[in-house]
Amino acid sequence: MENKPTSSPTSFVDQSVVPGDVVLDLSNMTNQTLKLGGGLRQDCDAISVMKAGKLRFSNPNKYWVESSQKRYVPHAGDSVLGIVVDSKADNFLVDIKGPGLALLPVLAFEGGTRRNIPKFEIGTLLYVRVVKANPGMNPELSCTDASGKAAEFGQLKDGYMFESSTGLSRMLLSSPTCPVLDALGKKLSFETAVGLNGRVWVNASSPSTVIVVANAIMNSESLSGVQQRIMVEKLIQNLKLST
Amino acid sequence: METRLANSFRLTVNEKKFIETALQSDLRIDGRRPFDFRNISIKFSREEGSAEVQLGQTHVMAFVTAQLTQPYKDRPNEGTLSMFTEFSPMADPSFEPGRPSEAAVELGRVIDRGLRESRAVDTESLCVLSGKSVWAVRVDLHILDNGGNLVDAANIAALAALLTFRRPECSLGGEDGQQVIVHPPEVREPLPLIIHHLPIAVTFAFFSNESTVVVDPTHYEEAVMGGRMTATLNANNDICAIQKAGGEGVLQSVIMQCLRIAGQKAYDITTKIKNAVESYNTERALRKIKRHPSAVALDISGAGVNIGKNQNKPLKGDSERSNLTSEKSVTDQSMDIEGEAKSSEQQQTNKIDGVSKNFIGGPSSWNDNAK
Repeated sequence: MENKPTSSPTSFVDQSVVPGDVVLDLSNMTNQTLKLGGGLRQDCDAISVMKAGKLRFSNPNKYWVESSQKRYVPHAGDSVLGIVVDSKADNFLVDIKGPGLALLPVLAFEGGTRRNIPKFEIGTLLYVRVVKANPGMNPELSCTDASGKAAEFGQLKDGYMFESSTGLSRMLLSSPTCPVLDALGKKLSFETAVGLNGRVWVNASSPSTVIVVANAIMNSESLSGVQQRIMVEKLIQNLKLST
Repeated sequence: METRLANSFRLTVNEKKFIETALQSDLRIDGRRPFDFRNISIKFSREEGSAEVQLGQTHVMAFVTAQLTQPYKDRPNEGTLSMFTEFSPMADPSFEPGRPSEAAVELGRVIDRGLRESRAVDTESLCVLSGKSVWAVRVDLHILDNGGNLVDAANIAALAALLTFRRPECSLGGEDGQQVIVHPPEVREPLPLIIHHLPIAVTFAFFSNESTVVVDPTHYEEAVMGGRMTATLNANNDICAIQKAGGEGVLQSVIMQCLRIAGQKAYDITTKIKNAVESYNTERALRKIKRHPSAVALDISGAGVNIGKNQNKPLKGDSERSNLTSEKSVTDQSMDIEGEAKSSEQQQTNKIDGVSKNFIGGPSSWNDNAK
């Protein structure tokens, strides 16, 4: 890959980059501290890309590469949707689309004691938070936020869950609200839970609403904002015609 | 063991309940109605006898090959047709490499029964020398992506591949007329298989609510369903095979309704397959015509007359090239107005132009530059 002659990083920010691209030349930037996030590597004076994706920058000095995949790598602090696979004496075994099963301690609920352990059957869908995610160990989860409150974590009842990529989940959680959710919310009423591991749960009062919302979200990852709004309008028109 | 648990497909209780609730109002999760098929796309490759079928997210490839072998002892006049299925592990996390699973064997069996019992492929025409040498046709089905309803997709792929397969022509020769000579495709045009009709498989899924039936289940619906039935019919509404392996009991009226619906679907799919095969065959025939090289060269520096000349003489290009090299010195002088030819292609067309001007002189009135 050829080096861009200019060393200014603005030529690469928000662009798609591939492994091997040199995005920053440190010899031209003196006395600056940069924070490099995932997907970037320092080779002496050059910062090169290790993962394919979009280069992102946030003030004052953070750079990272964002990519969209179907696999999820657990990180501490993420909110994810997990499915209960098994229950042991001390932990529930929960699948969060990572390399191994995660452990949810039986007491990690608000006001959880040995006497009121919840009974989750196999296949229950949970909205949980990742507490610890060290490489090589099974991640640890919790159904409370950092201060011990329940904060909407826990079992999700009814509704419909589907899986897609991590990039779509990030787009749905971005602020300001992403265009597809905005356009859907203006006409339909529904609730969603988005897990950073690529799982999305949708619930509404009627099945047709759920199906329209789910299909709209699934198709919206590669569309721009305007295209998303057009697609949503078409879907809603079809919905109104059929009811 | 744990990694295998982590990788397999999981179904939540929410999805099971939701799919069944939605079906009660005749809605499916991808927006289809209960008796709608997904979009079918059939593609062929340059090799004859291979087809790739996409049914929504399900992706299947079929390859047909043939070999000369000895026939079975009890059928000395018939060729053989055999099916092999391969469930690639990239299609689904639960597919493992190695011995075919029960589902793989069942899939091969259903498609094989549909073709064999209904005698769709004419095996007697595959006999070359009775009792000694017959064609054994082998169909290999590769599952590339499991999006549900593999049987129907694999069936369409197998039929499309069989329709476009061509076997080499062979004749008997030798002193006693007992030797089989196989002619290569360049010498004699290969022959298609004789296929009398197209048996199409249509799969139905039954759910725990009585009389909820859907056609062409997706992966999710298959995980939730209570039972399934595959009916193989052809476009004339003849039933070739029915397969219902276990699962819930179903009322007789429901089965008759399914067979009626399957008849309509079979007719639609048969037309789709026939259209795809026809367009492939015309494209292949056109490709054969274009093989002659002189029809390709186009001279841009000259006037449009070159194109006209080339179309007049597509076949004489080869033999004329030897004439043209000797006439090069002659034509070059008359052609110098058209500019020096830089590439060999341009030289050829200039020569052809010059030759035809001498011999035919037909549309040379279009060419204002030369002469």
